[in-house]
Amino acid sequence: MLDEALAHLVRGIVDNPGDVTVSSRSGKRGPTLNVTVHPEDMGRVIGRNGRTATALRTVVTALNDGRGMRIDFLDVDGR
Amino acid sequence: MTEKTEASVNLLEQEGDAAADYLEALLDIADLDGDIDIDVEGNRAMVSVVEVNKGDLGNLVGADGEVLQALQELTRLAATRETGERSRLMLDIAGHRAAQREILAEKAREAIAEAQRTSAPVRMDPMTPFERKVVHDVVAEAGLASESEGEEPTRFVVIRVS
Repeated sequence: MLDEALAHLVRGIVDNPGDVTVSSRSGKRGPTLNVTVHPEDMGRVIGRNGRTATALRTVVTALNDGRGMRIDFLDVDGR
Repeated sequence: MTEKTEASVNLLEQEGDAAADYLEALLDIADLDGDIDIDVEGNRAMVSVVEVNKGDLGNLVGADGEVLQALQELTRLAATRETGERSRLMLDIAGHRAAQREILAEKAREAIAEAQRTSAPVRMDPMTPFERKVVHDVVAEAGLASESEGEEPTRFVVIRVS
């Protein structure tokens, strides 16, 4: 559910919603959601001073009943 | 109604609709129940997610409305993308803002009473722009004068018996 919710939240705020994918993996530092977006949308999902990325993390953590969740943002070129 | 205000009311409605779609889909995915109301308050779109069962949406409000604030930010971005105009919509969830506003209004009324009793300026605690707006409105309604002083983030309201 979390990956789907995050994908929806991101798709709604970018210019290229079709390029948004979210995958989850479990790493050493706990579960992580990887978000890929179109390179042109990278600035938009991070936001000024990381505001938008922080907002996304806050909402996803809330949906996860307060358990913190790592979210990494990548662009489709893998940079 | 002039053409300009009609256009802006129309824009606020579009904003509200875009916000409602964005939030509704989120509730669906998260399997949460909530009714969404759209309103225009002053010159802002006001979108409220109302609980069907009390406590259902507590997670979406968070401590001190932290999650609500994050969701408002994202919802504004979604509405901005839809309309092409920067959105300033206000989001409320489970009546949180309405309750906060009532608490602030009560503080403002106490400060007004003090100003009237002492005839001296009353300085309130530092507040966010939104909170100060609530206080200014209550003071104006009571027929007193108020202004904001100091610098963000510790800007505060001073109430005077003019």
